[in-house]
Parts: sequence; structure tokens; C-alpha cells
Amino acid sequence: MSALEHWNPLTPLAAATFLVVAAYAAPQPAGAIASFAVALGGAWVLGVGRRVSALALAVALPTSALLLTMDALVPGAPGIATHILALGPVRLDVTAVRVAMLIAAQLGAAIAAMGWVVVGVAPRRLTRALAARGLPAWAAYVLVASLEAVPEARRHAVEVMDAQRCRGLNTGGGIVGRVRALLPLAGPLSVSLVSESEERALALDARGFRPRSRRGTLTPIADPRAERVTRALLWWSSAAVLAWRIAVAWRGSAS
Amino acid sequence: MRRTPDVVGLGRAFVCYVAVRTSSSHSLPTLALALIPRAVALNLALGALAAALKLPVYLDSVGTIFVAVLAGPVAGMLTGAVSNAVLGILYSPQLFAFIPVAVVIGALAGWAARLGAFRSVVGAAIAGVAIGLAAALTSVPIVIHLFGGLTPSGTGIITIALRMVFGMSLTHAAQVAALSTDVIDKPLSCVLVALLITRLPARLTERLRTSPA
Repeated sequence: MSALEHWNPLTPLAAATFLVVAAYAAPQPAGAIASFAVALGGAWVLGVGRRVSALALAVALPTSALLLTMDALVPGAPGIATHILALGPVRLDVTAVRVAMLIAAQLGAAIAAMGWVVVGVAPRRLTRALAARGLPAWAAYVLVASLEAVPEARRHAVEVMDAQRCRGLNTGGGIVGRVRALLPLAGPLSVSLVSESEERALALDARGFRPRSRRGTLTPIADPRAERVTRALLWWSSAAVLAWRIAVAWRGSAS
Repeated sequence: MRRTPDVVGLGRAFVCYVAVRTSSSHSLPTLALALIPRAVALNLALGALAAALKLPVYLDSVGTIFVAVLAGPVAGMLTGAVSNAVLGILYSPQLFAFIPVAVVIGALAGWAARLGAFRSVVGAAIAGVAIGLAAALTSVPIVIHLFGGLTPSGTGIITIALRMVFGMSLTHAAQVAALSTDVIDKPLSCVLVALLITRLPARLTERLRTSPA
């Protein structure tokens, strides 16, 4: 069980936002490295370390490997370069390695920080917390209904494919044949989509659904003062880092 | 160094601001709202079908284009944003970064439908090329500034190959790589939507088309 379940979902959301902002807008490379360390370390402390690490490394490692491959294979601009690897035409210089590591750290930090929310907070809880802060009913409905519809979709696609194959649809062969097979597969999926939507719209109308109203909840999510203060500090810190970044860029372009 | 995150950040903030302002200033009908979650599911389902059929396309925007054509650009933009957000929550947080691309696809598909592009397969294909160009141009700055120019996918490998063979700059190689996939994927998605819409009950499409959004 994750420690995040005891918190108001908006607190890890604010913390994740601050870490993402710090990873990209704070002074580099310290900002990215510190954010990555805090995001990953925090995930382990909060009990979601395994999944968050897998998510972050699954993107950061291949991206940095591809960047290093590109920099090793594609000759850079002529000039003084400190090579740390030189095997025939394959040359890797220190700057390229630094850039690849920086991007890996930024990506890792951003994904690990968002992973706190993605892995540690139940989407329904997050939507309820957002609704309590003024998220309108239509947005809450769209989010929750989408989160529920997506897991069914893959299973439904497999069912339609199996059903059409049983009716003799050829899904193999050349690329033209496979493209042709798309319409008989996509047709039933989209028609069922629209007919289900009509039923849902009727159900919503019948229950007096008002898109702009605020959603009530039977079990309110606790929001202690300490968490509210922490969140305010995190939002203001994110805004301050962004403002500093914009000011630095502005001064740089003006001079 | 190839880093100007404030420009990208401002661009993304602008796209999201426009999406939020336009969606809040219009009232989407209940049927359009009910359609959005199913379209998000369709994006995933058709993406899975394309992978199962081993097609060299994503087809993960068909649901977004479908809603945009049926219910207008606002619903299309909302579907694109929700689709990437939900798939980001459920599968891969990096999809959050590409929300502006999905919003652009939804908006352009909706506007193309209002111009009558989806009344014929040829019109849909032309609209698809335009949407593909716009999607590629929107995604490239994100790929360059957040991922260093490469995503761990086939597009990233195309970028490396283009730089090796033709000596292109990173930006140009990333643009060509993105275009090479998007100008096939989006026209195919648009043609598929144009064909699918002819299979829907007319009363339903009329009900959506006469809505205020």
C-alpha cells in the first residue's frame, strides 16, 4: 500500500509539477540531477519505487542510448572536441555525453515525478479531489468515463478481430490486404462506440446531468492545513522557478 | 546547445489556454460529452489493431478525428487532450508532452469537416495530409526540446539515418522523420473516418451536427 493513499491527491500533483518545472527550468545540470534524485528517491520512500523506476527508465535509457548513438555516428561541427571514444568513424565527445546524460536526467525526473501521481493515486480519487476544488461535472465525467472505457477497449478490439476472422476476414498477407482489413474491423468498433454513447447520453439526461454544476461527494477527501500550506508553497515555487527562467532567457536575448 | 524551453513552454501554454477558453465558452451537448470517452477508447483500440495487423502507422488519432468531424473542433480538441492525458495516466506519462499535438489534430479535423472535406474520400485524404503536416510541425519542437531530438521509436531511428546519410541538421532530420510517418498515418486515419461516418445512422450524425458546438 502506498503512503500516497493517505494524502490529498492534489499534494503529490503539486509536488510532481514542481519537480517537472525544476528539471527543465532550474539551473542545469544541477536542477535535472536533483529533481531526478528526489523524484526517484521519493517514489521508493512512498512505496511506488519499482513501478515508477520502470516507467522512468523505460523512456530515459533508450532515449539517451539513441542520442549517444546519433552523436557517435554523425560527425559534429568541426572544431576542438574532447573525444572519449574514437573507433574509426565512430567518435564520441564529452559534450555529446553530457547532453545525453542531461536529457536522460530531465526525462527521468519528469516521468518519475508524474509517476507518483500515475502509479500512486487512484484516478477516481484524483478526479474527486479536483471536483472538490471546482472541476465542473462535465470534465469529471469525461475523465472518469475515459479512464473506465480505455481498459475495455483493447479487449473489445481483440474480440472484434476474432469475430471477423471467424467470418473469413483475412488479416494477413501483403500490406494492401492488411489495410483493406482495417475497415471491417474499425466499422463495428466505431458503430458500437456511437450507439453506446447515445445510450449514455440518454442516461445522463434522464438523471438531470448539468455539465456546469459542481459534483458532490458522499466521502469527502481530507485536506489538512499542513498539506494546503505545502501545496501553496510548491505552486509558488514552481511559478518562481518559471519566472526566473523566463527572466534569464529574456536578458540573454536582449543582450 | 539546442535548448529554449521557455519558448516551447509558452507555445504549449498558449495551445492549452486556447483549448480551455474555447471549451469553456461553448457548451458541449450531452451526446458529444458521452462520445468523448468512447473516442478515447477507440484511439487505443485502433492503435492496438494497427499493431496487431503489423501496419507501419499508429492510427491512434482516429477517435479524435471521428469526434471532431461529428461534433466540431471544440469536441475534437477536448478528445485529443483527454486521450493523451488518460493514456498518459494509464500507460506512459511521456504522452502528456504530446497533448498539444492531439489538440491541433482535433481542431484541424473539426475545421476541415466544417469546410466539407469529409464528404468525400479524396477530400478526407487531402485534409489528412494537412493535418499530418501540422501534427508533425507541432511535435518536432516538443521532441527536440524535451527529448533532445529523438524519441525511442521508429521515428528516432529514421532521424539518425537521415543525419548519417544526408548530413541533415537535427531539426531538419526530426521534421522529415515526423513528416514521413504523419503524412501516411493522418490521411489514412481521415479516409477511415470518412468511410466510417457513412456507416452511422443518419439521425445520429444529424443530431451531433446540429449541436451548438
